[in-house]
Amino acid sequence: MDTIPTQTPVDAGRESRELGFSFTGNAREYFGIWIVNLLLSIVTLGIYTAWAKVRRLRYFYGNTWLDGYNFEYHAKPKQILIGRLIVFGILLVVNLLVNFVSPLFGLIFIPYLLALPWLINKSMAFNARMTSYRNVRLNFRGSYWGAFGCFIIMPYLAILSLGLLAPVTSRLSSNYIGRHLGYGASRFETGAPLGKLYGNLGMTFLFAIGAGLIATILAAAIGSGLLASSDIALRARFPSSGMGSLTSIAAVIGAYAGIILAFLFYLAGVRNVAFNSTKLDGQHSFNSTLGRGRYVWILVSNLITSIVTIGLMRPWAAIRTWKYLCASTALVAAGSLDHFVDEAAPQGNVASAEFFDIEGIDFGL
Amino acid sequence: MIEGRYFRPEVARSEPAKLWGERDDLRMVIGDDQTVHRPVLATVSDKLGNVPRKLTFADGSVFEVAAGADIDTLLDSHGHFFSRLARLEASWKFVSIAAVVTVALLFGLYRYGLPALAAGAAAVTPNVVVTSMDRGTLETVDRLLLSETKTSTQKQAEVQALFDDVAKASGHANPPLRLLFRDGGRVGANAFALPGGTIVITDQLIKLAKSDDEIAGVLAHEIGHVAGQHSLKQLYRVLGIGFMIGVIGGDSGQLVDDVVSQASALQTFAYTREFEADADRQSVETMIRAGRDPLAFVDLLDRIGGDKPGSDETGWLDTHPGNKDRRVATEALAKKLGWQK
Repeated sequence: MDTIPTQTPVDAGRESRELGFSFTGNAREYFGIWIVNLLLSIVTLGIYTAWAKVRRLRYFYGNTWLDGYNFEYHAKPKQILIGRLIVFGILLVVNLLVNFVSPLFGLIFIPYLLALPWLINKSMAFNARMTSYRNVRLNFRGSYWGAFGCFIIMPYLAILSLGLLAPVTSRLSSNYIGRHLGYGASRFETGAPLGKLYGNLGMTFLFAIGAGLIATILAAAIGSGLLASSDIALRARFPSSGMGSLTSIAAVIGAYAGIILAFLFYLAGVRNVAFNSTKLDGQHSFNSTLGRGRYVWILVSNLITSIVTIGLMRPWAAIRTWKYLCASTALVAAGSLDHFVDEAAPQGNVASAEFFDIEGIDFGL
Repeated sequence: MIEGRYFRPEVARSEPAKLWGERDDLRMVIGDDQTVHRPVLATVSDKLGNVPRKLTFADGSVFEVAAGADIDTLLDSHGHFFSRLARLEASWKFVSIAAVVTVALLFGLYRYGLPALAAGAAAVTPNVVVTSMDRGTLETVDRLLLSETKTSTQKQAEVQALFDDVAKASGHANPPLRLLFRDGGRVGANAFALPGGTIVITDQLIKLAKSDDEIAGVLAHEIGHVAGQHSLKQLYRVLGIGFMIGVIGGDSGQLVDDVVSQASALQTFAYTREFEADADRQSVETMIRAGRDPLAFVDLLDRIGGDKPGSDETGWLDTHPGNKDRRVATEALAKKLGWQK
């Protein structure tokens, strides 16, 4: 993509057009950016990670195209660094208090839980505000009790019900995010249908059984291969009665892998349902056609490739995942996309965004 | 002259535009309009791969150009850090060197840097911190695992005397050592050391021992943990690994995160084995200095592990070295130090 089309796409009037997202990044180019990010992060004892994050996200957003225009990530590295330092400092103080002063400080999780909805809203507002498309930025205006219900209460109910209420949780959180998200002065609206989410849960259940079985068989095969080899230490650990315990260990590994993979499968399905029931400005709609099994396979094969190459194929894997996500997503535009305008919106809070980033929590915005 | 597209402030519609001039004296025409504008530059997005560059002007309007367009010549910014960096990132030679250096650096940091940093951090950790750690840990294990000792006061006094004897022979002074007696409950025959100098021995271990030297050897081993600051070093190494993963893992998917943290948990087992071997070494030295049998404690360990199959070899998942390995290592060391039975 060396040149940008100099004329804007022809206005198709009120006719609806299906516009696919596309991704123009490539693994070779990203490898250079990634390895330099890594090297400078190590040499600067982690300080450069703020710059690294901005460059990584700018690369992915900037190479994501829709209707001849790309996305842009706007956060400033210094902001990110300050956010990280604040989060790091707070986590350090809390850990010191809990470990060295008194375990009673563990009670800090109560105010933490109460602050969480606010943190989530501020974080989503920041991430949305730092994202633009065609010179117009996204924004997020959350409500405390809405976030409290979707992200604090509902996940517990989903777990307590052994997953049976998970589709309700997914519906509420998808709708919450969709309804509070805006593109400039225009609003999104999401109404995820419960029936489809339960259908997704059913497929997930079948998938979990299949994936669990395959993982068990694989674990047992690898385990007995190891036993058959001449590793004396291992044989000593599993004396002649070894096969029985081997099967149960394999089953535990299989169940563990099955649950993790099923969770990813489930999330991919929720993404489809959420996108397909989202409208922008009440007229433009979205299409998400992620193949759930294929998506899980991409993540699993990415993981294996990354491990085998001691992480050096990680850039390739990241590009591959993102490319697939883009290729599976489309906007059905009712007419031209020229009319959007930006407006002032809450800026969010960088420290809360960095908190969830450091903790590895992603709300899938 | 650079061609691109121009967005008026806060508007999604773009118009083709042309830009020329210098950083402080830019000229621009928009669309077919011949009017020459003089935009004032506010910010320019850094060069990065083939991502289009965006010039934001003081009024909030944006001029966007393809990555190939020579913005750096127009703005005289070839020398800027990120312009240089982007050129390096695109050079195969540089990227290959960076990859080799990064892998070597990570390996070196992990293998030598972290242990050295952890030892340094342990050395400067004030006693107040470690004693309060002792208090907290003891509170927790007392509540969850251990209960009050049932060993007679007379036996306690005997073991205390043994402890004082090996403590003196160990030459360790700071933090001060103290011995506590507990009923091991589920834990059974065991002894452990906390970083602040608190050493706990269970009733079951005292009962299982057949000689004073067996108990003394175990106590010397635990004193070795305190003297070597093993718990603190372990704590700092684990923190260091966590930090390293954080630095590396900025861009790792959910699956990668999971697997890496499991793998680092396994690594702590290897650290523990290293510390155990070190404490064994210190036990042998102390016991010889005290004129006691340095191998006796291995007999006691054999008796503890007697009911578990396969505890003779050291495996990948073991926290302690296998007893056979342990016996061989301690015998060799004792011989080297001139000890004879």
